[in-house]
Amino acid sequence: MDFRKLQSANKLKSTELLFGMALLVGIVIWALMTYFGKTGIGVVPFAVGIALLSVWGSYWTSDKIVLTMTGAKLVTESENKQLYDLVTEVCIAAGLPVPKIAIVEDNAPNAFATGRDPNHAVIAFTTGILRVMDREELQGVTAHEMAHVANRDTLVSAIAATTAGALALLSDFMMRIMIFGGGNRRDNNNNDQNPIALIASLIVLILAPLAALLLRLAISRKREALADVTAVAFTRNPTGLRRALEVLAADSTVVHQRSTAVAHIWIESPLDGSKTSQLFSTHPTLASRIATLKAMEGNS
Amino acid sequence: MKVVLFVLVILVILALLAIMSRNRLVRANISVDEAFAQIDVQLKRRSDLIPNLVETVKGYAAHESGTLEAIVAARAKSTQATTFADVAAADGQLTQALRGLLAVTENYPDLKASSNFLALQEELSSTENKVSFARQFYNDNVRTLNSAIKTFPSSLFVKSAGVSPRPFYEVDDPQDRKAPQVKF
Repeated sequence: MDFRKLQSANKLKSTELLFGMALLVGIVIWALMTYFGKTGIGVVPFAVGIALLSVWGSYWTSDKIVLTMTGAKLVTESENKQLYDLVTEVCIAAGLPVPKIAIVEDNAPNAFATGRDPNHAVIAFTTGILRVMDREELQGVTAHEMAHVANRDTLVSAIAATTAGALALLSDFMMRIMIFGGGNRRDNNNNDQNPIALIASLIVLILAPLAALLLRLAISRKREALADVTAVAFTRNPTGLRRALEVLAADSTVVHQRSTAVAHIWIESPLDGSKTSQLFSTHPTLASRIATLKAMEGNS
Repeated sequence: MKVVLFVLVILVILALLAIMSRNRLVRANISVDEAFAQIDVQLKRRSDLIPNLVETVKGYAAHESGTLEAIVAARAKSTQATTFADVAAADGQLTQALRGLLAVTENYPDLKASSNFLALQEELSSTENKVSFARQFYNDNVRTLNSAIKTFPSSLFVKSAGVSPRPFYEVDDPQDRKAPQVKF
């Protein structure tokens, strides 16, 4: 399989999913208007504003926040020359500035990258991954992480999180209004509304947060798949990343920090201990990622 | 009145499209220059490593004077190269000469054990990766530029943007088609 084709296919799919989210917002606004009349719209700015405030603060300072949350320590070139060289090589391949490099004291092999743009990026490795992987595998992992930086995935996930958060808030507001202020609807002269539309809008409002969550996770999985392909575009070596993922698949230790707040940023999901449904996972399965990389190996 | 407005809107959209396609060409051209500068930086770094490498190897493997001379000669050529084709040709020769040297060092356990050489080897293999990734990045940018020059609508603005198709950076090295070696 050609990595350029795969790259544009994955980009297209994640854009479609983002449009899906925009569409969902549109549907929810329609439902609000149908159920509560024009005044229903009044809560939209509040929901969006609160969601924006809560997500964008962490987006803007993501490099610093994540370092604090994971306890990662920054390393300089002289402290770990080999790691620094490795990251620099991938950055040259990607045409990106060299990010801050950090190490997390943790036996589980894992890595992540974050930052609002390539100039504020940070890439972190656990001590475990540095121990169990050889240079070729680490190069693959680094390329995957730098691919997130190049594809602006911190921004993409911030947008998805904001939208999902706003929809959850809207749905919550709506529930409260229904329970505590049930009289509102009749005041707005909406009695002539089609009852089917009313029931449909009620269902939309109840299901919207779940749909938004599923879309957000689907976007996360697509961006992971895209990062794998972009990594191959950087190194032209699918074997390294494929072998790295096989190491991760064979390894049973899991990062100690099982906080869902930062689960999506690791290369391997730290939460996938159980056999939770694929629908609710932030990453595609390792098996499917390995299969895609194998298909690319046959071609290069 | 409506017709005039309609025509005006169309004209503005067309003008915006034209500016965007022209900028695309100019940007792609700048990226190619920047990518070439990166190759240059990495080649210089590699050149700077060589005197130290040659000295270190000489101490342990005096018999390999032929290999060492080839490296020194290739380095001299690469530092003198000015034109695009010369730089690429000299780069290819030096790459091959260095690979020959690293293969030869396998026969000298004392050399391989020396800490000085180990540090140099890490430095050298990493620089070799950097050179090869810089070439790849350059070629990717040339590919983007050349396809922008050939495809509509940016193809209409090739003259006004003052860009022309650029050659790929090709070193004469059969091994280069494979993925860079990253073992140590």
